Amino acid sequence: MTATAQTELAGVFDFGPEHNELRATVRRFLADRSPEAEVRRLMETDDGYDPTVWRQLASLGLVGLLVPEHHGGAGSGCVELQIVCEEMGRALLCAPFMSSAVLATSALLHAGDEAARARYLPGLADGSVIGTLAITEESGSWSAQDVATRAEADGRGGYTLTGQKLFVLDAVVASLVLVLARTERGPGLFAVAAGAPGLAREPMATLDATRKQARVTLDATPATLVGPDGGAAAGLAAALDVAAAALAAEQAGGARRVLEMAVEYAKVREQFGRPIGSYQAIKHKCADMLLEVESATSAAYAAGWAVDARTDEVGVLASLAKAYCSEAYYHCAAENIQVHGGVGFTWEHPAQLYFKRATSTQILLGSPTYHRELLARRLGI
Amino acid sequence: MGRTGLTAPPAEDRLAEPADLPDRSGLAEAAFRAELRAFLREHHPGPTPSERSVRLAFLRAWQATLTELGWVAPGWPRRWGGMGLPAALQAIYHREMALGRAPVPPTNAVGIVGPAVLRDGTDAQRERYLRPMLRADELWCQGFSEPEAGSDLAALRTRAVLDGEARDGVYRVTGRKIWSTNAPVAHRMLLLARTGTPESRSRGITCLVVDMSAPGVRVRPLRDMTGATVFAEVSLDDVVVPAADRIGAHDGGWRCARVTLGHERSTSLTAAALRYQRVVGDLVDLARRRGATGDPAVRQELARAVTGARLLELNGARVLGRVLGGRDPGPVSSVNRLQHAEFEQWLHELAVRLLGADGLLDAADPRLGTDGRWVRGFLRTRGSTIGAGTSEMQRNTIAEKVLGLPTDREES
Repeated sequence: MTATAQTELAGVFDFGPEHNELRATVRRFLADRSPEAEVRRLMETDDGYDPTVWRQLASLGLVGLLVPEHHGGAGSGCVELQIVCEEMGRALLCAPFMSSAVLATSALLHAGDEAARARYLPGLADGSVIGTLAITEESGSWSAQDVATRAEADGRGGYTLTGQKLFVLDAVVASLVLVLARTERGPGLFAVAAGAPGLAREPMATLDATRKQARVTLDATPATLVGPDGGAAAGLAAALDVAAAALAAEQAGGARRVLEMAVEYAKVREQFGRPIGSYQAIKHKCADMLLEVESATSAAYAAGWAVDARTDEVGVLASLAKAYCSEAYYHCAAENIQVHGGVGFTWEHPAQLYFKRATSTQILLGSPTYHRELLARRLGI
Repeated sequence: MGRTGLTAPPAEDRLAEPADLPDRSGLAEAAFRAELRAFLREHHPGPTPSERSVRLAFLRAWQATLTELGWVAPGWPRRWGGMGLPAALQAIYHREMALGRAPVPPTNAVGIVGPAVLRDGTDAQRERYLRPMLRADELWCQGFSEPEAGSDLAALRTRAVLDGEARDGVYRVTGRKIWSTNAPVAHRMLLLARTGTPESRSRGITCLVVDMSAPGVRVRPLRDMTGATVFAEVSLDDVVVPAADRIGAHDGGWRCARVTLGHERSTSLTAAALRYQRVVGDLVDLARRRGATGDPAVRQELARAVTGARLLELNGARVLGRVLGGRDPGPVSSVNRLQHAEFEQWLHELAVRLLGADGLLDAADPRLGTDGRWVRGFLRTRGSTIGAGTSEMQRNTIAEKVLGLPTDREES
């Protein structure tokens, strides 16, 4: 285990004025365009997002944050992405951001295929194309080695894919589905267009309605290879590390919001003639939540910093952050319900929305148990 | 009460004047780091002996070396024997000392007692106390807790009655102090005593320096659950303390219980986090030697241990980043200590689980060999969540001071 230089690390968390401005801009935008009523309205729709808001996010440069400038994006780093995700997590924004701006974009960026980057990234960056990444299958695994979907060369330079993908984020509204499929050489990444023959997308009924998921069935569906045949594993792992850092930041943002809700309520709700926040049982819950929220924030941004600095600790810190932030968010969201008591258990109260988002993000990209095992392996344990 | 390990020469003997000590406060980071590493290469006394009888003398000798060569108290002003370093160099100091496995100081002089004297003492008191304290020629203990005043420190009852004027009179002190770390070997005690009415709480407390050899001071060593005798009960029976030995104002001693000096805490906690990364490395080795790293459940636990140590480091770095940027340390600094305490306790529980049936043994059993450290730590860290404020009190403080939840006690 290497000990990172302390003073160097201290700079990791020293956000500059441009970071604070980005955060303030996103927070204002989301307060305006993604209030709770909007979240609840979009939860009930099939598409699960507002195309107008999506275009506005794109025109603010947020959708193309990770895309290099010469492909029409902002060319920003992972830390900037995390600031945006943290705010989106706070606001429970319903939009295909994680699927398109993070997963599909990162997968293309790390696939080692400049032609594919030039072809797809501009559309992803300006929001005209919604992309998603389809990895998981019946096994529920986010690991490339578990992929069973088959890709066969069609003899004309293309491929056809056959198999079934599950839990694919925003697949129903995506116009570009990046599919992990296996050739005889190993797992490869393939681009499938929305209208391709043999492609079927059915929404799954999800616990967390703020982020849509679908079953994607491929039956001899034509596809274009992205990156090397059978050589997708390394690039995919790098893309998933970025996505894990982004999702961890989203979790940290959600966790901080539920802590604020719990504390606000504990100050005003009175029982036995005094605020419930004056009882140690409630205080200690809130203190533990703060410890977790602060630690989750540290873990998430350390992973983002490692991505941007291209240190050899990216994998270690990404798995550490995903495992820790998942459990921290889940615990805080559950405690927020408990602190609210009966009202926290109602449909009308937002506590349940955060609890469900905490649950879904805990599982997406691999559970805490999966990431701890990955962490141990990455450390050579 | 006799003291052990006290063979050091009188304080005046070899004390360097501040002017004689090199001023490193203006060095560039790289140059500072290089000098400190060179110092450690030349003067590191080797591993700290675990044998108690020689340990204290060893640590005092090291403290004297540090003081003579100007490598002690990084955050203190140079005038009083410190290094006067800016926060960035303090951080490097603690980091390099941790990485270089330098022995840790024998008392909390630099962290708690010294800062109280520095902040609230007179120049005459600073002159008299601070440099012998830094050199560990004079060892200090704290007289804060009492049998009836633990977490509720403001309920303390030890009486100090002023006989004469606040300037030149004397205090007559009677009462009992407990959990006083290092009291069996200490020369002086920083004492908190009641000078106001019993109801005056924190407003009627005065801070005094008690000579441990004064008539009426009795030290009864207490054996803790590890079997060691590190702390003691101290009874004071009409002990005379000159008013000149009062730190701060009459009735104004409460703040001495809380003083921290500048950035000492934020910069030193990061060093503790580094030490814990090393301990986790040792824990992984333990798991390897015991053939446990193939067990998926153990792998999960080891990953949690790595995570915990890294979080301490990252949280510490975040505080440091704020401090170096000229801002206040922020909410994360208040969770650091709680997190450290609970982490080291949990870590040793894990270590003892990894020992399997050998967890039945005392640290002294030869079968354990160097793994006895885990058993010792397992017992020692039960105190981590109690000493210097229980974890419960820390959670109260976090909830009230950081989150703004209402208090249910008279004061905090």
